Parts: sequence; C-alpha cells; structure tokens
Amino acid sequence: MEWYTYLALFSAFVCVGVFTYRLVYLLSLGMPKDLSQQIGSVKKGIIYSFTGAMSPTAKESAYLHLPTYTAGLLYHAGIFTSILFFVWVIISGFFAIDTPQFVNYALILLFSVSAIAGISILIKRFISPELKMLSIADDYISNILTTLAQIATVAYIYWAAAPFYYIVMTALFLWMPFGKTKHVLYFFFARIHLGFFYGRRNAWPTVRKNRI
Amino acid sequence: MNRDKTIDKKELALELLKPGGDSKLITHLNSCVRCGLCADSCMYYKALGEAKFVPSVKVDLVSSLYRRYYTKSGKIAPTVFGARDLDKEMEEKMIDLLFGACTMCGRCVKHCSIGVDIPYVVRKGREMLAIMDLVPETLQSTVDAAINTGNNMAIPTEEFVDTIKWMEEELIDEMGDENARIPLDEYDKDIFYTLNPREPKFFPLSIGAIAKVFYAAKESWTLSSKFYDVTNYGFFNGNLKEAAQISAYLYDEIHKLRGKRLILGECGHGSRAHRWEGPNYLNKKYDFDNITVVDLIGEYIRTGRIKVDKSLNKEIHTIHDPCNLIRSGGLMRELRFIVDCSVENLVEMTPYGEDNFCCGGGGGALAMSEYNERRLKIGKIKADQISATGAKIVITPCHNCVDQLLQINHTYKLGVTIKTIAEVVADALVIEK
Repeated sequence: MEWYTYLALFSAFVCVGVFTYRLVYLLSLGMPKDLSQQIGSVKKGIIYSFTGAMSPTAKESAYLHLPTYTAGLLYHAGIFTSILFFVWVIISGFFAIDTPQFVNYALILLFSVSAIAGISILIKRFISPELKMLSIADDYISNILTTLAQIATVAYIYWAAAPFYYIVMTALFLWMPFGKTKHVLYFFFARIHLGFFYGRRNAWPTVRKNRI
Repeated sequence: MNRDKTIDKKELALELLKPGGDSKLITHLNSCVRCGLCADSCMYYKALGEAKFVPSVKVDLVSSLYRRYYTKSGKIAPTVFGARDLDKEMEEKMIDLLFGACTMCGRCVKHCSIGVDIPYVVRKGREMLAIMDLVPETLQSTVDAAINTGNNMAIPTEEFVDTIKWMEEELIDEMGDENARIPLDEYDKDIFYTLNPREPKFFPLSIGAIAKVFYAAKESWTLSSKFYDVTNYGFFNGNLKEAAQISAYLYDEIHKLRGKRLILGECGHGSRAHRWEGPNYLNKKYDFDNITVVDLIGEYIRTGRIKVDKSLNKEIHTIHDPCNLIRSGGLMRELRFIVDCSVENLVEMTPYGEDNFCCGGGGGALAMSEYNERRLKIGKIKADQISATGAKIVITPCHNCVDQLLQINHTYKLGVTIKTIAEVVADALVIEK
C-alpha cells in the first residue's frame, strides 16, 4: 500500500471514530422526559417519520422543488455508494479481487450523474439570492468535497488515478464529522425526535384525508 | 455593575445551548443543511418575499451561537463554520426574527427535508432572549397581566362574574328553564372548564354557546371566578418560570375545587401549553384528566350525550385548523368528526389539516402590536384560502385565531362569519325537554 492509501485509511478511522463517539453520546443523552399523558404511539410515529412523512408527496420541499429534490436524491445515492466503494477498494486491495467490468461502468454512470447533481446544487447555491444569504463557507466546502469525491472515484475506476482518489477521500473523511456533512448522523436522530413528538400526541401518522 | 449583570445574563442565556440534558437540542442544532427548501412552507417568506424570513435563517441564528460557544470547530474557525457572537446586532436580529417573524406554527417542520424541529429551536432562542430581558414589552405585559391577575386581560373578578351572570340569564331565557346554570366556583364537579379571557371581554356569546352544550349534555361542571384563563403566553415569551406559574394556577385551582377533568377551552396555544407542556413545566404528571373541548364535544356526540342536527347549519362552512391543536395536537380527525355531524356543507381549504397555514396570529403575534403590519400582510395567505372555499362561515376552535381571522376578514373584505366550534355545535343542538 502506498502512503496515500494509509492516509485515507487513517482519516476514515478518524471519521468513523468521531461519529461513533457522537452516536454513543447522543444515545447516552436519550429522549426528552415528557410527563404529559400520552395518547398516541411513539413507535408508529417514528416509523411514519421515516416512511410516510419522508414521501415526496408529503413534502413541499420535494414536490414544489422536483429538480432540486431529484438532484438531491441522486447526489446522496452517489455519496453513499462512493463511501461503500471506498470500503470495497480497501477490501479488494487486500484480497486482490477484481471488480467486474459492467459494475465499473454502472458505477461510473452513477458517480458521474451524482457529480453533475452536486455541481447543479452548488450552482444553485451561488445564484439563488436566498441561498446566498443563508450560506456559509461550510456549505460550499461540504458540497465541493463530496462532489469531488464522486469525480475522484470515477477517475480511480477509469484512469486508475489512485493518488488523486485517496487524497480526496482523505479530505472528505476528515471534513465529514465537522462540516454540515455530519447530518449523516443527526438526520436519523432528528427523524426519531419528530416521530417521538408527533407520535405520542397522535398527530403522526397523519390521517389520509380521503379517509376522515 | 449593570454591565456585569448584562454579561451574567448573556452567560445564562448561552447556558441554554450547552450540550447535555437530552439529545433533542443538540440534534436539531446540528441538523440543518441550509438547503433553503423550507422557504415555501413559511407564510412570512411567501407573503413578504425576503430571504431573511426563510425558516433556516431563524434556525441558523440560534445554531450559529451554539457553534460559536460549544463546538471546537466554531471556536477555531468561526467564519468557516458560521459561528457568530452573541452581540448587540445578533440580539436585534433574534428579536426581530424569532419574536417578530415566526408564529412557531410548525408548518416548516413537516416539509423540512431533514426534519429539523424549527419552532423548537426558535423557542430555545426566545428562552435565551427572555433570560436577557429582551422579550418585546407588549408580549411581556400580557404575561405580566396573567401572572398578576390570573388572566391575561386583567379582567377584574367582579366584571367576570357579572358577565357570567348575564350569560346565565341569557341561557335561562333561551332554554326556558329556570334551572339552567353557569356554575361558578362549585366543588366536586366532573368538569372544570376554562376560557380564553377574550370570551368574557369581547365574545361572551361563546360562553353562552358552551354553556348550552353543557346544558344539553346535562354536564356537572364549573368555572372558577379567578383562575379560568386557558391561555399561557409564557409558552410564547420563553420564560419557563412564568409559563410554569400560569400552568400552576389551573393545576392548583382544579385541586382546590376538587374537579375531576380539566377541559381546556377554545384556545390553540393554551390547550397545547396546558395539555402537553404543563406537566413538564411543573415537572409532575397530572392526576386528573386533561383534555381539550374538542375532545369533549366529540365524546358527547359519540356517546349520544348530545344530539346535533346538521340541517340546522345549512350555509357553506370551512375550517381553519389551529396549528397547536391540529398539526401539534393530533385533533384533525376529531374536529372533522364534530363538524361533519354539525354542518351540512363543509368545503375544506387548500391545503388543510396538518398542512394548513397559520392564521398569522400565533406565537404571541397578536400581543405584539409592533408587528401588526407584518401580521396582517401574512394574513393574506389565509384570506386567499378562505375566499377560494366560497364559505360564509369559518369555524375555528381557537379564540386567538378568531381574533386574527376577524381582522383578516375586515382587512381583506371577506364577508365571512367566524365561529368557534362550541358556537357551531350549539346552533345544531337538538335539546329534548
């Protein structure tokens, strides 16, 4: 293994370590103590929070903004796959396993589309007055790093550009726990808290309006 | 000396953001990705069109302070991570946006791509401002009135009792029954009922309406002549001690009168504050049933304790869903059940239920006269919703909403009548003698 592979591996361990620490910390803090008389189901509320409440038909942020929503989905699909691909690259390196060619082509397609989606989201942040006002450096850095990770993965698969790939992944892993990319962890807790809050009040799951 | 006190208060305010307690605060302070997709779900942004009204801007005010004072990254590289100081400029922004541009209606929460509990974060910001004595005076005076007199309009007990006696005479006349009563300060009743002080002050007929419903149900009930106020503006000003004090008034009074069930009158935030937050303010489980009047009327109809005839309400009705009762209170189904039983022709607004827009009067906005112009501008969204239904009557089980809807009705010349749920049900009652 080259030095840059070790560097990427080290940064991946740091990333996983920080997230694990935060996960344990959040779990140790637990849910809010609520002494009010519960009437609904927390379990149903939490399940709904991750399912029906996330449906694009239930969210204005999705159905009023379909191009951005679609770009976001593709972007996230690419991000998660690229992280899994990194794990695969390390494992396959140890055991000298080749990735089938058709899988490589499929991945190149996914990462390319994901990178385009990331760039389009970045452009939107640059040109929308609302987003410009809202944005901080973290928003741009997080986007550029994750988009670059898709491009680097394509470069690694297609041109075997290993140094570029590992250095970009190193930067991404070191940034992830500190930039807004940390929402990869907090997202799940936010959904759980919403399910807890609305579930115990019997507000979630919401009623299908044609069934009232 | 004063400067030291200011610094102490700032430190105390910032303590509220210190990680610990439970995982809710730290989760929501770390979750927003500033995608800005919440903008279209906020009536302030939709009506006024300025970027500063986007809900995530409001979240960022509070979370940037958290990053500045409680994260290493924010301390080391504040510009990169958007970590800001709690200075004069920040305080002014917080007052303007957290008090003056958010009713904490929660509509943005449902539509947030992540699920950030935006009103929860806004309320945390208000709590910080309350510690720093930066609550708008208009809102604070409403809370002060409730703390000092037992009701937020500072209605003297004699005046309240007179109004109740007047309504009782009306009830006797309407029912043709000398035994019809509006009981005051009676012990061991099944129901301890509460009112929004706007009822005795401006809308006494709504007291007559609920009294008629209780008469029809042959209910054993009472009002308190002193602590009848269902509102809790401590829920809005962010002062948890004051919120707890106001909750304690009702808690202590029902115990004093040995009532069995606390029925929260027609007030959205008041119902939420006492039903869902009260036990947490007071740090104890309630040892009595604590439900809203919507639940109670639904129960009456289901169990046959009252009979309603929907043909008595023939005009086109629509429902304005109070945010705290419906989106955050889970009463959408129950409210529809009552209205379906009581009116012949219901046309829903678009959108409605948990997606409904706030009337614009929530979050203490009605009390903060300095934001009146803004409040009426955002009310245009509700005015358009009402107009599109073609309804002549708007039903809402919340007196704060009633007030805002009356002003919207006047401002946008809607020509509708606003009614509470008790008024609609009272009009549909079939009373067997």
